[in-house]
Amino acid sequence: MAGQEQLKSCVIDKNLCSGCGMCVGLCPYIKTFRDRVKVIHPCGQKDGTCYSTCPKTFWDIDGMDDFVFQGPRSDQALGVYKGIFFSRAAGEKAGGAQYGGTATSLMAFALDSGMVEGAVLAGGSALDPRPVYAGTALEVMAGAGSKYTAVPTLAAFNQAVGINGGRLGLVGRPCQVEAVRKMQQGCHSEAHGNRERAVGLTIGLFCFWSLTPEFYDFLAEKTKGEVITRVDIPVEGLTVTTPAGANTWPVDQIRKYIKDSCSACIDCTSEWADISVGSTESDPQYNTLVVRTVAGQRLVERAAEKGVIEIKPYPEERLPILRKAALNKKMRVIQGEGGKMPGYLKLSDQYRAEIIRQWEVLQK
Amino acid sequence: MFNVIVTGVGGQGNVLASQVLAAAAVEAGCRVSIGETFGASQRGGSVMSHVRISRDRTCGPLIPRGKARLVVGFEPLETLRVLMEYGSEDTVVIVNNRPNYPIGCLLGEDKYPDPQRIIEAVKKLVSTCHVLPATDLAMEAGSPMAANMVLTGALAGAGVLPVDGNYFRDTIEMLFSGEVKEINRRAFESGFKAVQKG
Amino acid sequence: MSAHAVALDQPGRRVVLTGNEAAARGAIEAGVSFAACYPGSPTSEVLPTLARLGARFNIYTEYSTNEKVAMEAATAASYAGLRSLTICKADGFNVALDFAAAVCLQGINAGMVIMVGDDPGSHSSVREEDSRLLARTANFPVLEPSTVQEAKDIVKAAFDLSEDLRQPVVVRCTTRICHASGDVTLGDIPMVKKEATFTRSQRFVSSVKFAPGMRDKIKRAAALAGDSPFNYYTGPENAQRLVIASGPSYTYSLEALAMLGLEDTAGVLKISTTWPLPEELIIKYLIPAREVVFAEEVDSFLEDGVMVLAAKNMDRIGQTKFYGKNSGHVAGPGGPFVGELDPDIVAGCLGKVFNTPYHPPAIPNAGEARDIIEHSLPGRELALCAGCPHRASFWAIKTAVELDGREAIVLGDIGCYTLGLYRTGYNLLQTVLCMGSGVGLACGLAKLDRFNFRQPVISVVGDSTFFHAAPQALMNARYNQADILCVILDNETTAMTGHQPHPGRGVSASGEAVGRVEIESLLGGMGIPVTVHDPYDIEGSIEVICSLLRQKGPRALVLRRSCALVAVKGKKKNRVYVDQDRCIGDSCGCARFCSGVFACPANIWDSERGRARIDEAVCNGCGVCATLCPGKAIVVERTV
Repeated sequence: MAGQEQLKSCVIDKNLCSGCGMCVGLCPYIKTFRDRVKVIHPCGQKDGTCYSTCPKTFWDIDGMDDFVFQGPRSDQALGVYKGIFFSRAAGEKAGGAQYGGTATSLMAFALDSGMVEGAVLAGGSALDPRPVYAGTALEVMAGAGSKYTAVPTLAAFNQAVGINGGRLGLVGRPCQVEAVRKMQQGCHSEAHGNRERAVGLTIGLFCFWSLTPEFYDFLAEKTKGEVITRVDIPVEGLTVTTPAGANTWPVDQIRKYIKDSCSACIDCTSEWADISVGSTESDPQYNTLVVRTVAGQRLVERAAEKGVIEIKPYPEERLPILRKAALNKKMRVIQGEGGKMPGYLKLSDQYRAEIIRQWEVLQK
Repeated sequence: MFNVIVTGVGGQGNVLASQVLAAAAVEAGCRVSIGETFGASQRGGSVMSHVRISRDRTCGPLIPRGKARLVVGFEPLETLRVLMEYGSEDTVVIVNNRPNYPIGCLLGEDKYPDPQRIIEAVKKLVSTCHVLPATDLAMEAGSPMAANMVLTGALAGAGVLPVDGNYFRDTIEMLFSGEVKEINRRAFESGFKAVQKG
Repeated sequence: MSAHAVALDQPGRRVVLTGNEAAARGAIEAGVSFAACYPGSPTSEVLPTLARLGARFNIYTEYSTNEKVAMEAATAASYAGLRSLTICKADGFNVALDFAAAVCLQGINAGMVIMVGDDPGSHSSVREEDSRLLARTANFPVLEPSTVQEAKDIVKAAFDLSEDLRQPVVVRCTTRICHASGDVTLGDIPMVKKEATFTRSQRFVSSVKFAPGMRDKIKRAAALAGDSPFNYYTGPENAQRLVIASGPSYTYSLEALAMLGLEDTAGVLKISTTWPLPEELIIKYLIPAREVVFAEEVDSFLEDGVMVLAAKNMDRIGQTKFYGKNSGHVAGPGGPFVGELDPDIVAGCLGKVFNTPYHPPAIPNAGEARDIIEHSLPGRELALCAGCPHRASFWAIKTAVELDGREAIVLGDIGCYTLGLYRTGYNLLQTVLCMGSGVGLACGLAKLDRFNFRQPVISVVGDSTFFHAAPQALMNARYNQADILCVILDNETTAMTGHQPHPGRGVSASGEAVGRVEIESLLGGMGIPVTVHDPYDIEGSIEVICSLLRQKGPRALVLRRSCALVAVKGKKKNRVYVDQDRCIGDSCGCARFCSGVFACPANIWDSERGRARIDEAVCNGCGVCATLCPGKAIVVERTV
């Protein structure tokens, strides 16, 4: 039994909130502005869906694998997957898409093909991102483009659920996929009934961290009020384009804006999504595409067949690099480096030992 | 000297009821004095009008404790509150049965006592108590806001005051116009009748 | 409602008037030509009464932007030879005091009366203030009516006195006069031709050289007070027990003596000319008296004056004991200087002094009733009306402040929005002092960054209060670059005092269309950026406030939506109801948001069915609750 009070004391007040938006809109008392999620008034309820579906309250990694994939993983770095590829939108790519446009195209296709009736995603612009509900493929396309601060997209999910009665898609960060998976396991009260059936597709994004909104103040200071036309954070560092040209600052300069909650996260490839999409770190025209579930596999196959996306094999030499990045993040968390292993995560000794073993293998 | 207290909550229209009573009493040749407050009290506070009707003299605006001859309550809780201070065994009570909840009750911090229990307590205090579904009668007459005229009708029909019902009817005729007049007239008559039945 | 009765040209006819209407009638009987005021309870209804009759009796009426401007305008009319009236509440007299203290030296020309409403018991004020002290500071003689009839007669007489003295005269009325009603015998309405003249040779200057002349006027006023028909004695001859009373306390004293059975042994000296005092008249009754009790409200003004008089005339009055607020004998439940009097309080006080204990009658058979009262009778605190746009604004501000997370300070002041102090406004406001003070305080707080105070500062001000007192403070904010967010709760009227128009309305006191002072343009002219939003759109308002809180410099947000009471006047209301099949009651997890937290008085709890409900008798049909209900269970049927 735990509710709003515990959500506030154990998650929000401890800076563990990742701003996923799962708790927003379930009641009139939890609200967001930008990435901030706040309890504005005590509701007095002992037990609450806000607490039980939060990705930063109790959850069990082994149990999550069982629930989503009906079995354990063999790869501790990337989780369960059926295939990994390079991919990009075929034909017309959505205007705002940062890299290959795969996530946008797949969700638009899922809408067109009737797999989902609507989708929630982080829309708006890189400088003013906001949760968006998209009812058409066009609206999905309009939301394309990377966002660097945490967008509480699931607030839009809570708003949209039950309105049309149809199934919804999510394009979200790993924490948002986790929240949805928790919710699907029935971690919500009767009042918010039937939500588990409202999710038709989860497209998870690769995410190593997101930034607090103070990052915008930094941007404004650096660009001295000029109009920003594009923001990107490739490995080289933060690149900001204004009409005067592009400028790059080292990533170290923006580290202080990384959300505390992100330092305590073990999942950078959306391990429990139907499909995960990220950058390739090598070819800006393409995305990395991880196909995980049967439903995800079916969608990707049909999208490729219909010429919505192009797929090519994942370059073998890149796999250890990606796995190493993912394992490094996990190691930092379970070894307490850069943040203590958070109390809410339940990780079996076997999983833990396996993470360490696979990481050590890669070090050699 | 007839002392009447009209009590309720700001916004229920009790001030208008006391004004109609006073105007009718003056038409009937009496001296009147009304003590009341408005302003902040319109915003959900307890509102009480003291109406003093005399054949021959001007009196102060406030009725002393225990000296109310008639209490007209727009709401059970306020009626009991007033009766405890200003009532006596001989006080005649006319009370609307519909509660108006104080904000503390809405917020769940206070509890509004069972209205039936309040009414029973009122009945134990005085020999004559008319309980009226004034808000319901007002809705039948055309608007829930006309509960004040239902209660004014009951006040006129109770036969306690030295003011004939027709003086009230004339006053309503003079003060209102159009649809409001029609609603108020119907409301007044239904209150007038209801009190004579009950 | 009795504009008709106020205007009747039937001398000798008895009609029911409120004290405020009676005062207006008194001014008409005195041939008043000019009336100006900023509304304030308990005297708010005087000016609208005159405004309705302005055309008929050739009276110019105006709502001025504040009491000082009103007094200045009224003085100008007096200078030009026209009888003028200005009306305010005690707090408003403070605003005008700067001018009053200047105008008193040389005085005025035609009769000028200042009707001031004092509010013992603070029924509709944030405090009690005794305007007689201010009047004395300004050297304006004071008259006090004790009944509604006297409210008329004294206002009329005050014009004559003022004209005789060439000095403004204050008529001090308390709430129990202004808001009381009674039958009033009407007098003549003069039909005089009014001409204003102000020549090049006239001069009115505040100068100390006029001080001796002013003192002479006050002496003459004291002499005239000795013959005033409004001072009189009721009781046995040469009474040893004497009550000296002013205002409604006079009627309370008479009734109290009767209740105590002392009417044959004690007398009541009623004084209406409370400053300057009719010295010889008072001494005459002090000489036989052995015990004197003062019955008056707010301060010990009459008491202090009589005590000074007694000290000066000790040889003549001999051994006398005085009982009043200073001795602690005249006191209500809150103490001698707090709250108003009533017949029971006065009877209790007189009973103690005159050794005749007063036992108010208690109702018998009260066991059950007492049980309810003592154990479960809830009190009623003030609440914003159903549909009040301020409630929506307060919820938006509260939410935005929580979301902002920097512990923003929220300052307010005087108007309906004062209720932001209480539960109905989510206890949001942290200061309430006087008109417009929230903005000035915000200016100061916002300049404390060098002392490590960096919380955001919000001031909340109503539209009428904005025009009355905020521009000076906002100019200060702009000039000194104070980082404040001024939220103007614009309900397009002066709601608290009964919906009087103001400069932003485009309507004059007499109902004519006039040019509007636009809040946006005014602030724009000062260089303060303004955002306008509809408070009924709560989610949008939250976002706007959150964004504005992150900006620097002085900035303003106008949350504009008509007062719910005005919006529904004469119209069919929207029907709002709870779909009790969609509302899932306590299993919702909303903790009864609509009735229990948002706390609109129209949102009630149906305990029989365990569902929310709307009280249709209270609801004004705004539909805001429907936008906030998480179960989307509230339905709005729009009439338009």
